[in-house]
Amino acid sequence: MIRFALKHMATRRARIALTALSIVVSAGVALLAYNVSTQVSEGIIGGASRYDLIIGPAGSSTQLAMNTLFFTDQPLGTIPYTLVDDLMETGMVNEAVPFSMGDSYNDSPVVGTTPALLTDKPLKEGEMFAESMEAVIGCEVASNYGLKVGDSLITSHGLSGGGAEHAASPLTVTGILARTNSAFDRAVFTPCATIWVLHSHEEEDEEHEEEDEGAHAHEEGEICAVLVRCKSVGDYTALSNHYKSDANLLAINPNTVLREVLENVDLSRTIVYALCAVVLVMNLLVISVIAALNLYDQRREIALMRLIGVSMGRINQLYLLQNAIIGLAAVGLSLLSAHLILWVVRGFVAGMGISLNALHVYGLEWAILAVVFAVSTLPTMLMTMSMSRHDPVEGGKRK
Amino acid sequence: MIQTKGLSMRFADGTAIHYQDLTFEQGRSYALLGASGCGKTTLLNMIAGVLRPSEGEILIDGENVVDWPQRRRDHFRIHEIGYIFQDFKLLEEMTVRDNIDIVRLEGVDTRGADALLERLGIQRLKKRRVRSLSGGEKQRVAIARALIKAPRIVLADEPTGNLNFEVGSAVMDQLLENLNGGTLIAVTHDDRLAPRFDCVLDMNQIARGEVSA
Ligand SMILES: Nc1ncnc2c1ncn2[C@@H]1O[C@H](COP(=O)(O)OP(=O)(O)OP(=O)(O)O)[C@@H](O)[C@H]1O
Ligand SMILES: [Mg+2]
Repeated sequence: MIRFALKHMATRRARIALTALSIVVSAGVALLAYNVSTQVSEGIIGGASRYDLIIGPAGSSTQLAMNTLFFTDQPLGTIPYTLVDDLMETGMVNEAVPFSMGDSYNDSPVVGTTPALLTDKPLKEGEMFAESMEAVIGCEVASNYGLKVGDSLITSHGLSGGGAEHAASPLTVTGILARTNSAFDRAVFTPCATIWVLHSHEEEDEEHEEEDEGAHAHEEGEICAVLVRCKSVGDYTALSNHYKSDANLLAINPNTVLREVLENVDLSRTIVYALCAVVLVMNLLVISVIAALNLYDQRREIALMRLIGVSMGRINQLYLLQNAIIGLAAVGLSLLSAHLILWVVRGFVAGMGISLNALHVYGLEWAILAVVFAVSTLPTMLMTMSMSRHDPVEGGKRK
Repeated sequence: MIQTKGLSMRFADGTAIHYQDLTFEQGRSYALLGASGCGKTTLLNMIAGVLRPSEGEILIDGENVVDWPQRRRDHFRIHEIGYIFQDFKLLEEMTVRDNIDIVRLEGVDTRGADALLERLGIQRLKKRRVRSLSGGEKQRVAIARALIKAPRIVLADEPTGNLNFEVGSAVMDQLLENLNGGTLIAVTHDDRLAPRFDCVLDMNQIARGEVSA
């Protein structure tokens, strides 16, 4: 039966390919939209930090949040490292973690900080960095470039990669972070001092190429931001107000900023879902047209098989089986291609600080597939059912 | 043995055909001759169970098959009757072999297909699409599909109608040689083929048409 069904399908392969393509496109788009938007918002929510105050140079709040939490975008500029000491001296903070960025290793940002930034990020191998020129790397950095504990890596100037290499001063990998499914997987962490050392060397050796990417925390004693965990809400308010009054500085609550970003994501999500609905309707249309085109042939084939003596029930089974095969194959292909695309675009999105997991299939994706399957097999099912009610052969006893 | 009793067919448009009682002995071959429109195809359709007579009985081995429900008639047709249609009724886009395998959908054993195609001289065509075959070749495919089940009854509606006399008589001979004890009822226009059959029936005498308003 299945073999015959497949051979029979081969006679309509162009139409079937078109049907399948239509299903794959609509289901694929829907899956991709749902999966990416969900992972993006989850990533943003996951980025909500243990810090309640981030202080950086004056500029855009979103840029400061994205830069310090997802290591994307450019740092706003530099602030003096002494700010960290100042904050600690107030006695109002539990933690004040320096943050600087400006160099890269291939396409991974190099973050200058203290081990405190990695407090809740366990190491999979090795140890935390202690001295300058030591580094802890994210798991994807390790796997992408085949780095192990004890290896050395040469960073380069600028965030885009391709800048001048700090060839004379390689960093040594002391540890590798366990997977976090966040921007931490793709970054290199090292003490702030490493960055100061690298750049002071260079200034001795060679002329600095013209600064193309704005200010970097390269000078000794300069960093890009401070991540702060206040002792109490009162302390937070006091510090926040204090730093907000300084025109050269920007003080933000990262979670407030993230919530705003998330609202934008939610809006674009709605738009994407509306588009998905349109695509799905078009899919239904294409499939209905094809089913209608098949109607004439199908009628002749049914009459033919009935005359030979194949029962109406068997003929229905044959068509429904074919329909199910096409539907299932197309739906499977959709799932596969959506996640393949996800895997391919992972690299781009990673640049935005969100680490997509191509293997993550949400429960709702199965629901989407079930809906697409139902929608795309429905027209043919209905047609088959309605045709089966008109038996072209009337040789039996009347009721 | 097939017997008809008081058989008549009345179509919705008022055309009616009344048949004299007929008897077809098991294992013998019958030629139905008669003018176009006299009711030959209609008779075969009623025997095959694709058309229900308005009146009368069709007894196959003593059982009135007209009383059978559709499912049983379908089952009998695909397992016991080889019907060769006037216009072949083949799936044009599928191969010769696939066209024979259609009957496997209802559990007919087609393992003898290669040997049968060999005897009909079309073994080499078995992977060809029916669409690309000549009329005579298609006719043989239709015969192969009818005979693959080793049927008790073979109904052939003008199996040589599209062929010239030489090819037609060769095809008819192949059909007669491969009956294997089945009863053959074959419609033909060509009375030169009549001597090959055990019995010739003149349908002009047997079927009486009538048109009522
Ligand atoms: N479905 C139908 N509705 C009305 N009249 C019909 C129908 N089928 C057949 N007839 C009529 O019944 C008569 C016998 O038709 P049938 O097809 O049995 O003829 P035939 O002997 O096979 O002719 P031919 O040699 O041309 O094939 C014809 O007058 C035909 O017009
Ligand atoms: Mg006829």
